[in-house]
Amino acid sequence: MAFPKELIRNFCIIAHIDHGKSTLADRLMQLTDTVAERDMEEQLLDSMDIERERGITIKSTAVRMFYTARDGKTYMLNLIDTPGHVDFTYEVSRALAACEGAVLVVDATQGIEAQTLANVYLALDNDLEIIPVINKIDLASADPENAIHEIEDIIGLPAEDAPQISAKTGLNVEEVLERIVSDVPAPKGDPEAPLKALIFDSLYDNYMGALSYVRVMDGTVRPGDRIRFMHSGNEFDVTEVGIFDPGRKPVKELTAGEVGYISASIKSVAETKVGDTITLASCPAKEPLHGYKQANPMVFCGIYPADGADYGALKEALDKLILNDASISYEPETSQALGYGFRCGFLGLLHMEIAEERLEREFDLDLVTTAPSVIYRVIMLDGTVRMIDNPSNLPSPMEIQRMEEPMVMAHIMTPPEFVGSIMELCQEKRGFFLDMTYLEENRVKLSYRMPLNEIIFDFFDGLKSRSRGYASFDYELGEYEESDLVKLDFLLNGDMCDALSTIVHRDKAYAKGRAVAEKLQEVIPRQQFEIPIQAAIGGKIIARETVRAVRKDVLAKCYGGDITRKKKLLEKQKEGKKRMRQVGTVSVPSDAFMSVLRIN
Amino acid sequence: MQGLYIHIPFCKKKCRYCDFVSFPDLKCEDLYFVALVAEMRKYAPLMRERSFDTVFIGGGTPTVLKPGRIAALLNEAGKCFSIKPGAEITSEANPESASEEKLGELYEAGVNRLSLGLQSANDLELHAIGRIHSRQDFINAVSAARKVGFTNINADVMHGLPGQTVESCIDTLRLVTELEIPHISSYSLILEEGTPLYDDVRNGRVILPDPDDTADMEDAGFEFLAQRGYDRYEISNFAKPGSECRHNLNYWDNGEYLGIGLNSHSALRLKGDWTRFNNTDDLNEYINELGEGKLPVRNTRKIERDEEMFETIMLGLRKIKGVSRRGFEERFGCDPVERYAPAVSELEMEGWLEATEDSMYLTKRGLDFQNEALIKFMEQ
Repeated sequence: MAFPKELIRNFCIIAHIDHGKSTLADRLMQLTDTVAERDMEEQLLDSMDIERERGITIKSTAVRMFYTARDGKTYMLNLIDTPGHVDFTYEVSRALAACEGAVLVVDATQGIEAQTLANVYLALDNDLEIIPVINKIDLASADPENAIHEIEDIIGLPAEDAPQISAKTGLNVEEVLERIVSDVPAPKGDPEAPLKALIFDSLYDNYMGALSYVRVMDGTVRPGDRIRFMHSGNEFDVTEVGIFDPGRKPVKELTAGEVGYISASIKSVAETKVGDTITLASCPAKEPLHGYKQANPMVFCGIYPADGADYGALKEALDKLILNDASISYEPETSQALGYGFRCGFLGLLHMEIAEERLEREFDLDLVTTAPSVIYRVIMLDGTVRMIDNPSNLPSPMEIQRMEEPMVMAHIMTPPEFVGSIMELCQEKRGFFLDMTYLEENRVKLSYRMPLNEIIFDFFDGLKSRSRGYASFDYELGEYEESDLVKLDFLLNGDMCDALSTIVHRDKAYAKGRAVAEKLQEVIPRQQFEIPIQAAIGGKIIARETVRAVRKDVLAKCYGGDITRKKKLLEKQKEGKKRMRQVGTVSVPSDAFMSVLRIN
Repeated sequence: MQGLYIHIPFCKKKCRYCDFVSFPDLKCEDLYFVALVAEMRKYAPLMRERSFDTVFIGGGTPTVLKPGRIAALLNEAGKCFSIKPGAEITSEANPESASEEKLGELYEAGVNRLSLGLQSANDLELHAIGRIHSRQDFINAVSAARKVGFTNINADVMHGLPGQTVESCIDTLRLVTELEIPHISSYSLILEEGTPLYDDVRNGRVILPDPDDTADMEDAGFEFLAQRGYDRYEISNFAKPGSECRHNLNYWDNGEYLGIGLNSHSALRLKGDWTRFNNTDDLNEYINELGEGKLPVRNTRKIERDEEMFETIMLGLRKIKGVSRRGFEERFGCDPVERYAPAVSELEMEGWLEATEDSMYLTKRGLDFQNEALIKFMEQ
């Protein structure tokens, strides 16, 4: 027997990092007896270690709760948790598409923060009902009036009667549940219509294979059904459907309006793409749900084991990682400096950092990564086209007719006072100004066409520092455009270090060459001989620094009888040596390859 | 050889670079003294078979103790342990507390070697590192020491100090050599985390000389000492013939020693096992545990034979004479040149190490890169 649809509420929580999203989710589950208190881990919904540490949600997830409201009726509340970063905007938009409402959590001590806004606009785009909630009112520094004011001014939502709560102490949290029941519309959709289930996330389970997390829009799905993924066209037999309680719990069917998972012995999450529509093979829907996008890697970097012997382990780890994250691509490559490794593709810079961190942590690997790159289109003299995602593979300029780089359409939302310095930043990053509009009195939207290779480094950091964190930013991939690009190489003691080569715009090559050479001079430890560091375009040297030879490497002091201290120092030095890479005659610390990215 | 070390963790004022365990507060002096005596008594039975060749009273600043304390400690040590006739008995002292009266008392108590913390003879440099004495205090201390009978005197000096130049560094050494002090320990300043100087340098309040300038000071200083007839017998130690410090030589020979006092370290062969341990570095724990009749020992470790061998190399190669092949063979039953053949031949090729029939030692270049050289031995 299906649960009455009019008693279902599908919602998500939108909040800035640290504004209490997970705490509120925990409270809601507690109030609805979804989790026994003793079973609760601090932040239940965030199941990955990295998420817990960084305080951000990377994967979407969902939980079903039952709540008996003051009207005496029992409602089914499906909470869909969403990732919170620009790299995952698409995933967020699909998770929002699975809801009818969103709880907007605003910290009473801090007011609205930039990142929240992008998601609020995304929610408004998806026609979600938004319920503002003022959190942390138990703190002495709380200023709920100001928070209300900001919600009304910046977003334009009435917030006078927004629940003022403390997710930490539980104060007024019940109010939030009541508001969800009263304000979020019940899902529409016809349980008898042909099945349309939106995949808002997928996950790989060692026993069940790839699971699709879905919101059923129309129709009903049961074990035994043969389902079709409308974009890929692949068909599978459903082995189990279930809900999140918050652990997975099998049920007999999932029907229109409900949220749950579908298991169909699928080998990889590459088959269960976020945004795809699941329908029944026997009675397919006419059209898929709209909004589907193929998530293509946009940022590439080389990933190498710090210890060459770990190549096999790295391959195994990558194989496992993509079972759970199909948006990562990888293929083997070799570097003279770094040996055998992989060229990996990611959705964005944060996605890349998270993947690296997961590889290092979950698989206990020590990695060396190279500077991120985008895919360049190289049109050769003979008219053939090559796509280059690794600067070392760039053909000789003699053979190249012209080069093109991927552009993005960047939308930046900011309070007006930061417009000047943000425009400056965009200019520095070779942006073409397109448009500026006042969304509200306090909200400006800037649109720029920019090269992707300028935003993959430190654009986001620059944006945040120039707007005191208030500007938010989103981008969509645009066309390729011709550009005057050159390959910038670095030579250490005369030997080229392929892992440091980058492709840059000619106008920026000198500044970049000088900055990286200076940085290398800082990070390469002095060795027993003098090391010239040169930046070069083609054969032409454009910058030079020198690491002077070290004169002494000896411990003068002997610490009396404390031998262990000296032994520890030697051990440390020995470990440091192990983390060095040999580039010709020069030892380069592994992290130098990454630290040269962080130049300013 | 066996050495006895006694730690006095008190100073009038702590120097800005110092990371040794020492307190600029003497309120626990009496309790500490009682604890030291208790500790020696506890070790007396264990040490019955041993006999000390050297005693070293270090700190801190031993001369800040109340009159009579050093004498009482040495007296107690003599009752608890066997100390060989003719043993080298050193006490450290700082120029500001080295009055004729104090030094006379040390000499009467049996101290026969005096180690003075000079660091620099330049008053500005002394001030920069938080020393509370002057060049003149040092000159006075040396003359007082001579007057009461000391002939065996060491001066600790440092290079790489804030504001120091090659000239001022040589000037310090010139003073020491002109005063005919027979032993000089010449260290480069090591910036230790957690010290006030470390914070000063990190915050840019103090600028240390460039490593190349410090290397110049060291090279010039060592050259100067060689010209004045001082033998470099260890990486940082120089002596007129016959004035080498026997207590430290025992450390570098990886010999046995017992440390008494706060955070002191010991190495003893116990029931055939080479064993290292140290005392707590917490003054209250030290005093309380001894008060309860317990030894405040921490980190007791049995050192495996391979590690003991490496220690012997690590310490031995600090000496200019290097590691005695026969001594090594007697201790471990194998020749170090053979045992570490790959490292030895690699270092020989580099010109960092030489081996003769008697010993294996680092060349001047090898001494400059001793850490690198040791890592080669370690990797084996």
